[in-house]
Amino acid sequence: MKRLEQLKNSGNKAFVAYIMAGDGGLGRLKEQVQYLQGAGVTAIEIGIPFSDPVADGPTIEAAGNRALKHGVTLQKVLEEMKSWTFQVEIPLLIMTYLNPVLKFGVERFASECSKAGVSAVIIPDLPYEHKELVQPHTDKEGIKLIQLVTLTTTDVRLADILSGAEGFVYAVTVKGITGSRDEMSEDVKAFMRKVREKSPVPVYAGFGISKSSHVDMLRDDVDGFIVGSAIVEAFNDNRIQEIEPLINAVTATHSV
Amino acid sequence: MTKVKICGLKEEQHVKAAERADAIGFVFAPSKRQVTIEQATELAKHIPVDTDKIGVFVNASLEEIEDAIARVPLTMVQLHGDEPDELVGAIQVPVIQAFSIRRKEDTDQLKKSIADYVLVDAPGTDYRGGSGKVFDWSLLDGADIDPSRLIVAGGLKPENVHAAITQTTPYMVDVSSGVETDGRKDTAKIQEFIKQVKDDSMEQTIEKVGFFGKYGGQFVPETLMKAVKELEDAYNEVKEDPEFQKEYHHYLSEYVGREQPLTFAQRMTESLGGPKIYLKREDLNHTGAHKVNNAIGQALLAMRMGKRKIVAETGAGQHGVATATICALFDLECVIFMGEEDIKRQQLNVFRMKLLGARVESVTKGSATLKDAVNEALRYWVSNVEDTHYLIGSALGPHPFPTMVRDFQSVIGDETKRQILEKEGRLPDAILACVGGGSNAIGMFYPFIKDKDVQLIGVEAAGQGVDTDRHAATLTKGTEGVLHGAMMKLLQDDAGQVQEAHSISAGLDYPGIGPEHAYLADIGRVEYRSITDKEALDAVISMSRLEGIIPALESAHAIAEAEKQAKTMTADQILVICVSGRGDKDMATYAEKLEGLS
Repeated sequence: MKRLEQLKNSGNKAFVAYIMAGDGGLGRLKEQVQYLQGAGVTAIEIGIPFSDPVADGPTIEAAGNRALKHGVTLQKVLEEMKSWTFQVEIPLLIMTYLNPVLKFGVERFASECSKAGVSAVIIPDLPYEHKELVQPHTDKEGIKLIQLVTLTTTDVRLADILSGAEGFVYAVTVKGITGSRDEMSEDVKAFMRKVREKSPVPVYAGFGISKSSHVDMLRDDVDGFIVGSAIVEAFNDNRIQEIEPLINAVTATHSV
Repeated sequence: MTKVKICGLKEEQHVKAAERADAIGFVFAPSKRQVTIEQATELAKHIPVDTDKIGVFVNASLEEIEDAIARVPLTMVQLHGDEPDELVGAIQVPVIQAFSIRRKEDTDQLKKSIADYVLVDAPGTDYRGGSGKVFDWSLLDGADIDPSRLIVAGGLKPENVHAAITQTTPYMVDVSSGVETDGRKDTAKIQEFIKQVKDDSMEQTIEKVGFFGKYGGQFVPETLMKAVKELEDAYNEVKEDPEFQKEYHHYLSEYVGREQPLTFAQRMTESLGGPKIYLKREDLNHTGAHKVNNAIGQALLAMRMGKRKIVAETGAGQHGVATATICALFDLECVIFMGEEDIKRQQLNVFRMKLLGARVESVTKGSATLKDAVNEALRYWVSNVEDTHYLIGSALGPHPFPTMVRDFQSVIGDETKRQILEKEGRLPDAILACVGGGSNAIGMFYPFIKDKDVQLIGVEAAGQGVDTDRHAATLTKGTEGVLHGAMMKLLQDDAGQVQEAHSISAGLDYPGIGPEHAYLADIGRVEYRSITDKEALDAVISMSRLEGIIPALESAHAIAEAEKQAKTMTADQILVICVSGRGDKDMATYAEKLEGLS
């Protein structure tokens, strides 16, 4: 994850791609990761399907349900990743709801993630208050526990969350769930600036990033972008190449 | 957690009885509780090493005090006379300085004291060192005393110590005459006092962070944390606000029609030949079930928070109807999420909600039942959190919901307790209530939790049988997990995917259980059993024909288990069933399932 710091210092923007593990069958995960790596993304978040994904919108929920129908589990995803022999050159993250982790065993989760080459984990329903449930175990394995901040996070909370932030900060751009949107609200820019000013680690904007116009609007206020629903949808519709311009729009070196 | 000191001990048996106390006090000043240094030294041998041993003195010299500290040995000293600051400062162990507080001005002395701790007491009568008279705790209001150095004494006893702690949040409470009978220490009272402090403090700690044992918490996306925290603060405020409570009870009586009778079920009692059976008649509430108790409380709270939009989930439709009703009453915008399956099962309630002006959103995802309706309601709340209150219908969800819903439903148990004492002069031997998420049960049980002789039985839905995969018996078959914002017990597979629950009763068709129930099950205070669809239907028939009360399918689970329970009880015993709702909403199911009934 040091690379993310270096990228920030170089002034270039990060592009983090989210994919739902096992959407279309677990066999597709490898080719999707390879494809995205080849397309120049900075890191990949691998989503674990869950029966009750309350932080996700319809696109990712539907992808999760498709994956569940294929019998995809946290364990199978980690096993699959362990079997990979191709060169993984970018950080891989696991995004999962808390319950599958608890059922798997938190300590075991951390050590298996480590074996599978996972650099960081994101658990959207594990707020800052309860992170002690997981962090001691991920710390032990050198895996970062990524924190989320949102437009509704109060300043006091924001300071607390940022003071313990590691890896990068996932800044949620909308008051809502994941999913593509047409508009970005104006106060998002101010929020991103505030978070970035205080954050000791890079700040990436996520939830609702699907267009180059979103990227243009926030480019100067964040260190990177997380794109989920748009990629999940594109993979599902077999038109992933249409995402490449968005990746390029983010990662291209801009003269300031 | 507030510490507890038992003071004025003279006998070995009482020192042993105070084993769980944080401090023991020996009185060296003239008093009927006076001990010599030799006696204290002997008694101190029976005190656990980590318990403070405090010597109580009145105007003793530094030499006397130091002698006692060295010989007993004492870990703290408590001064009740007019000791000068030089003496207080010269004592090498922590010092407690005691003050008699008659009026507000007296509290100034507390702030001036250079002692490590200040002890407040009512004015003494015959000798110094505390009188046992009740200290007026409200004198401390606004006195700006640091609670971490405050010790409260004066007329404390097991019955009032909880109130004293709540009002003054002291470092320690100190009791002497409050644990005596006829001027002598009483083992049972000592233990009860300690239990009240320790157990109550534990409860306060739990409520503070929103955990019941390991269950509960606030496992929600960051977007909701602000709303959840705001709700927590707002609820803490109204909980203690007499105006709010007055308004809430006003609507309960004038709109819902409370209080509801505790009906003696004479024919059912005769038919079963066991205990006297009483029915708590939540079925008589406006809208037909207990759900309205909570809907009113939360709607009033939402308005206080300036929110005029309400989102709710519903399973059977009873909570949806109650919410839609209250939103009509208070002119609030109302959106109800309901699973597609439940909409089919409960068409009458869907129409009622629409008639009342609510928007009913059909949820087609997942199993299209209550669990999925909660998911959608949570998502809606995430997206509309600034102006919308999520009016959750059961004792579920992130803190403070489980506590708040319990409190709003506790009117059931509070009334029952008062009524049974009026009718029978004693508490019942057993109380039964059905459990889905668990709101009517926790409301009924909570006021009886500390009455250890009252057996509490929660009844889950066994559906087609707990050994099939079609049931909703979460506590019988579930395992720990996090769903809908709380750690609880869940029906889930090996990969942590939440499974669908099954019950003929839409209101019990939920794969989780409120966190407080999970905790009460773990500590064994409440026993959870299960009843199948068929047994519940049989109970519908028997209750209808014996008592002329057609119960809701949910309530029928409690009734069916009560019929079994009654067979193990005797005629001099009393059993109470919570009839959480009436059967009108289930008439289509009854007509279908009981076709050919003669």
